[in-house]
Amino acid sequence: MIFTVKAEVSLKRGHFDPEGDVAAKALRDLGFGVASVRVGKTYTIKVEAADASEAEAAAKEMCRRLLSNPTKDDFKVEVLGFEGRSG
Amino acid sequence: MKRARACVLRVGGTNCDEEIKVALEELGLRTDVVHMDWLEKGDVHKYQLLVFPGGFSYGDYVRAGAVWGKRVVSKIRRDLERFIESGRLVMGICNGFQVLVESGALPGGDGAFSETPKAVLANNSSARYECRWTYLRCENGSTPFTSKIPVGEVLKIPVGHGEGRFIVESEELLRELIKENRVTFRYALPSGKAAEGAYPFNPNGSEYDIAAICNKEGNVMGMMPHPERAFFGWQAVGYGGPEGAGDGRRIFESIIEHIEGL
Amino acid sequence: MKEGLVRSICKDPPILAADLREAADKDLVEISSAMGLALSLQEMKAIQGHFGRPLTDVELQTFGQTWSEHCIHKTFRGEIQTEGGVVNSLLKSYIARATMELSKPWCFSVFEDNAGLVEFDEGHVIAAKVETHNHPSAIEPFGGAATGVGGVIRDILGVWGEPIALSDVLCFGPLDIDYSELAPGIKHPRYIFNGVVAGVGNYGNNMGIPNVSGAVLFDRNYAGNVVVYCGCFGILPKSGYVKDTKDGDLAILVGGRTGRDGIHGVTFASTDLPEESEGLRSAVQIPNPLVEERLRRAVIRIRDEGLATGITDLGGGGISCATGEMANRSKLGLTVELDAVILKEPDLAPWEIWVSESQERMLLSAPERNLGRITEIFREEELESCVLGRFNKTGRIRACFKGATVCDLDLDFLYNPPRTTRRASRASAVRKPLILEKPKDLKVELLRVLSDPNIRSREEIVRTYDHEVRGVTVVKPLQGFEGGHNDAAVLKPLRGSWMGVVISCGITPFYPDPYWMAGCSLEEALRNNVAVGGRRIAILDNFVWGNPEKEDRMGSLLRACEACYHFAKAFETPFISGKDSLYNESPMGPVRPTLLITGVGIIPDVRRAVTMELKRAEDPVYLIGVTKEELCGSAYLRVKGVEGGAWPEVDAASSKSLMDALTKAIDAGHVAACHDLSEGGAGVAAAEMVLGSCLGMELDFRQMIHETTRSDFVLFSESQGRFLVEVREDQEEEFKKVFKGLPARRMGRVLGERKLEITDLEGGKISVDLEELAYAWRGISWN
Repeated sequence: MIFTVKAEVSLKRGHFDPEGDVAAKALRDLGFGVASVRVGKTYTIKVEAADASEAEAAAKEMCRRLLSNPTKDDFKVEVLGFEGRSG
Repeated sequence: MKRARACVLRVGGTNCDEEIKVALEELGLRTDVVHMDWLEKGDVHKYQLLVFPGGFSYGDYVRAGAVWGKRVVSKIRRDLERFIESGRLVMGICNGFQVLVESGALPGGDGAFSETPKAVLANNSSARYECRWTYLRCENGSTPFTSKIPVGEVLKIPVGHGEGRFIVESEELLRELIKENRVTFRYALPSGKAAEGAYPFNPNGSEYDIAAICNKEGNVMGMMPHPERAFFGWQAVGYGGPEGAGDGRRIFESIIEHIEGL
Repeated sequence: MKEGLVRSICKDPPILAADLREAADKDLVEISSAMGLALSLQEMKAIQGHFGRPLTDVELQTFGQTWSEHCIHKTFRGEIQTEGGVVNSLLKSYIARATMELSKPWCFSVFEDNAGLVEFDEGHVIAAKVETHNHPSAIEPFGGAATGVGGVIRDILGVWGEPIALSDVLCFGPLDIDYSELAPGIKHPRYIFNGVVAGVGNYGNNMGIPNVSGAVLFDRNYAGNVVVYCGCFGILPKSGYVKDTKDGDLAILVGGRTGRDGIHGVTFASTDLPEESEGLRSAVQIPNPLVEERLRRAVIRIRDEGLATGITDLGGGGISCATGEMANRSKLGLTVELDAVILKEPDLAPWEIWVSESQERMLLSAPERNLGRITEIFREEELESCVLGRFNKTGRIRACFKGATVCDLDLDFLYNPPRTTRRASRASAVRKPLILEKPKDLKVELLRVLSDPNIRSREEIVRTYDHEVRGVTVVKPLQGFEGGHNDAAVLKPLRGSWMGVVISCGITPFYPDPYWMAGCSLEEALRNNVAVGGRRIAILDNFVWGNPEKEDRMGSLLRACEACYHFAKAFETPFISGKDSLYNESPMGPVRPTLLITGVGIIPDVRRAVTMELKRAEDPVYLIGVTKEELCGSAYLRVKGVEGGAWPEVDAASSKSLMDALTKAIDAGHVAACHDLSEGGAGVAAAEMVLGSCLGMELDFRQMIHETTRSDFVLFSESQGRFLVEVREDQEEEFKKVFKGLPARRMGRVLGERKLEITDLEGGKISVDLEELAYAWRGISWN
């Protein structure tokens, strides 16, 4: 089955986020009451797996091996759904 | 013509390969620019120096240097391990430094590579790309990359990057790097005092003003500044006579002296 | 519309056909608009009269693209009716005429190809091209600006040039303008600014081409009409310039895949921006510099191996224009197999494939025997390519899709569109008296002008562009650690030669008279070039104007073109390439007529290039040129919100003799530093030299050669043809000899301390220390 997995890679809590700070300032300039902004990346991955837990495990490994750098990033993986072979 | 040979690697998105070749050839070193995908097993052993140049490898998608870094691991890790363990030199400049960090070659682990990266070159604190000249204080003059530069001497070399803020995974590792003398260059004030984070002297907010580090053995070095852009005097008009040499030349001279002796 | 005029003739692939034979005028107009062709009634009627058969949508789109303002420059090539008679083609009567009459032997290829080519040294030529990308940048600033850079780089690749430098000139609305002042649908200048600067930087940095020259202007007028100029400069061996497509050669498409992005970019650039421009986003192309970087390597390798017979880039009009132009240029024909095109998405209609403006694509022609090697190079550089078809002798451009012929047009007719007629009214600015009280404190006035967004340091922008990559930038946009702004950039493109390329620009849209505005832009481009040591300058023109169908816009365009002819002749600087962007109109009105002149000069030895920062205390400082009371449109009056007085004019003869003398002095080594006087006049130029240095300057304005009555006027007049020069103290006598009989006067000296000291006409002293200057110039408002 093909599973759709969402992997979110974001900066570790407390880690300095210059891009988020710039966005926060720009939003404040526009009049929004923004306390802070954190920037992350979302990867929507279609992965072939036997079941949801295998899909999740595969996505976690992808995060560990490429999509995140443990020095600065945390990641979170969520299985969104699947498509059977028959469609 | 020198005996040794250098290989400047490239992949799609690499763009500083030519000027590095110019600098090395100017010093008499035979230099090939080789696409990493064309490398056959064992090819790297024809060379005494491997350079990972600057650019935006694979568009810097995912993270700067990450995709190339992982491809190094999956494609040429064994060859590269042997290359490094044999004492030959590997240098990463700018994007090349990011690649070496993402592949685990810098700061390095117990072997030539750590299994996961132990450091990262994160977004500049200014949240912008920064193209400017920096003052670099030499912290260790006894590596193969710095043997012609006394400790404490200040070089003028430009940077050009958006992700150059060097951070390591732990305080402990930072202390280790300092203690083991593996920080080779730090961003400094014109006087030679460390920048202590002061922008724009430290252009990216790197911890401990780190501009360059090397591995334990000292034969793998990564640096964010571009010595190939400060090789000729005319590249640095206003900092010296156009006739003379730029400060970056001394890094390349150190390298060549070393590999000629291998 | 009369029923049955446009009908579907095929469902898969979807093809429409229009039978124009029975169409009434209003039907023709309707068809043009419904299919997004942007063709006028006159043009539709010409097509109607030519064909005795129905036309497919693919064919009509071909006319829409090929006959667009963007592709064929119908205004510049058209007929213009004026009170004084008819002007037959602005291009032939003014721009190209100057080049023809000057007939410089070093012009290698002008107004013919994707870029202008001039000789560099014996074996090499320089390629130069400047484009505008205003409309796309107004809709999607990041993508619009980035693809502007990508497009102009491909123009250089399209003449087999190795790109060595980029330039960008940007005009925005005030960044602090209130939202309530913007018309509906207009994006805030801050948003546009951030996106455009990021887009320009991103593409150039990713490609590894240094961005070395440019300007940024702010004015309320640009709030509704952002202006984005992108330039690219390249070098190639003379023998590498091959444009000789032969009968039987293959047409090879390489690079990015073809998709719906950028459908109708061309016709979109040829009409006013409508209020609901959000819906037009599909017209914006998506940038991918990573692919273009690989294209660059592949193109240069193919050039060096001599494998191809022709090359052109895919820009406006996509495959339809690139194939048509290549076939037409060699008086050949071509049949294109649209099935061969590699698509991003599967269900594109044939006409969409035909006109898509997907980025990062090039078209090559090559003999079949070289196809294998060419494909191998593409594979090595990770590029996709396909063979579109084979050139033949038919003189027709045909396209087939799934076995059906969907387009079959005679190139002769396609490339000879009906002449457009425009009407021009007389356009000269009316001079008003200047009423302005004497200021109380000149120092405050100077700091105010320095802190104006149009004068302030550009460092925040320029640092985000890599100007050092490739390692050949000798004179940089920002000088040294202090970051003073040099007048022009110098590059050393060849390893074995000290010769340099000098790139400069001139843009003075704030002078109200179109004739003198154009003259001043041209003079400024030359002045900047000469200030660093450039000579033998070729120039490029880029007009950004409003709707040319309106008589007043056409009138000022005509006057500007007249000036281009006169001053190009007088300064002996040929135009080599140009591009106009018309129809810059928004709900907030027409764009301020804006002419960018780009100068491309050479310097025999880059070691002689001169920068703007002061070099040595006690060196004498000279002001070259005559200061007149010319303040209308100046930075000083704009800061004060005052109009009136005389605007700057150009005295070409005097200015040229000064420039020639300066070049002589630079070559002889007399000049330690030089800065041209432009916006903000002598006051700002002097302040900038101090700001960009570790030294100071002392100037006595009573020594100045001037024709004014007041101290603030000598300080801020924007008279053309002037330079501030630091002369090497030990060579002052020789320097004076070079300028014998010319207006050059010693004004003061370089100080060891970082400050600016001025003595005004009444003997009053002004002293500004570095901190005050820096606060103002680096962006702290002085009001």
